[in-house]
Amino acid sequence: MKGKLGVLVACLSLLGSGAGLIAHHSFSTEYDGTKTFKLTGAVSKVEWTNPHVRFYVDVVQAGKTETWNMELASPSALARNGWTSRTLKVGDKVTVEGYAAKVALNRGNARSVITADGRSLFGGAADDNAPGGGGNQ
Amino acid sequence: MRKLFVFTGILALTLPLLAQQQQAPPSGAPAGQAQGAQGGRGGGRGRGNQPPLGPVNALGQEVRRAPTPTGPAPRLPDGTVDLNGLWNGGGPVGSIAQGLKQGETLPLLPKSKEIIADRATRETDDPHLWCMPMGVPRSTPYPFRFVQNYTHKAPTHMFIVHEGNIHSFRQIFMDGRKHPAELDPTWFGHSIGWFDNKDTLVIDTVGFNDKFWFDRQGTPHTEQLHTIERWTRVNEGTLRNEVTIEDPGAFSRPFNTTWTARLAGPGDEIMEYICQENNQYGIAGGHKNPFAN
Repeated sequence: MKGKLGVLVACLSLLGSGAGLIAHHSFSTEYDGTKTFKLTGAVSKVEWTNPHVRFYVDVVQAGKTETWNMELASPSALARNGWTSRTLKVGDKVTVEGYAAKVALNRGNARSVITADGRSLFGGAADDNAPGGGGNQ
Repeated sequence: MRKLFVFTGILALTLPLLAQQQQAPPSGAPAGQAQGAQGGRGGGRGRGNQPPLGPVNALGQEVRRAPTPTGPAPRLPDGTVDLNGLWNGGGPVGSIAQGLKQGETLPLLPKSKEIIADRATRETDDPHLWCMPMGVPRSTPYPFRFVQNYTHKAPTHMFIVHEGNIHSFRQIFMDGRKHPAELDPTWFGHSIGWFDNKDTLVIDTVGFNDKFWFDRQGTPHTEQLHTIERWTRVNEGTLRNEVTIEDPGAFSRPFNTTWTARLAGPGDEIMEYICQENNQYGIAGGHKNPFAN
């Protein structure tokens, strides 16, 4: 157990150091580049809206259901990367990896969405300013 | 065995980050140039092509972009450079100082330095984050397009159509008129334009309000702002924007910045971007909308 915890801490600290080097304002004022999450649940709502597409995931933990508000890039940025408004549908089982909100509970900046049929979807824009995004805005 | 597991886990998480950091904009490079070096946002694949959604690394995925074309700049029948195309970049995002020549600094008046220091304490008040226009010459992560309105004799207006943020347009009068003596201040000002030697579109703008920030640093300006943009299509896929900024209310002298826009990929078009639709900016970080009544 101690070993696994050590691995987790090491990985999180490395992610944090990477994030600190290239994070920019709009991401860092909203999300914590060191607070990663990986959650699995069912999509309960999809908002194909500007400025950010959002989808909501019902996550069951310890017998209790919590709804997470997941932020993606803009519809246009996602469309340019192959998404459509029908890529995620209510009821889809997904695994989401991303960065948690700095303040609000159950909000996340989703970077990776893995669908039940195995598709791996990048949720940001190619050059956005989240850790790893490599952009300025 | 446990050590091997630890090493493998760390490697798996760090390699993608290291790779991504190598792709980050070089220090001091204009944002538009940095974006362009990667092929530009929105470039690469049109919507009708196979989506570039492949294996995901730790927390992201490579999004492939088509190379920027380098052939000669196209020309209109009368020989004037043709600016048609969908463009990405072309202005400051992070800091307008990134467009200066190496070694130069912004000629900020003391009052402007105070404003920047103040805005550094409230960076989330940047109007751009709350669905307000970006002004001039600030760039956005979204593409834009030049549109000319012609009569049978000559162009009368040029419009720059911006996808975001916000879905907006600039209007440039190409009919030889002058700026009015008195103007009501606006986000994009009053623009007149002409072609210089059929190679460069010159846009002269006054009549700005003082509301937009030049960049994320909060570099300010006043209603005395006067910009002169010189847009030159260096080749088919590259547009250079040389901007002279004059504002005696904010800077001790005029100064020049240079930016680069890159042509978006084939098939890419302006898409709808209605920023006000569902802007939840601020909630995740606990920030209040400074423009809410």
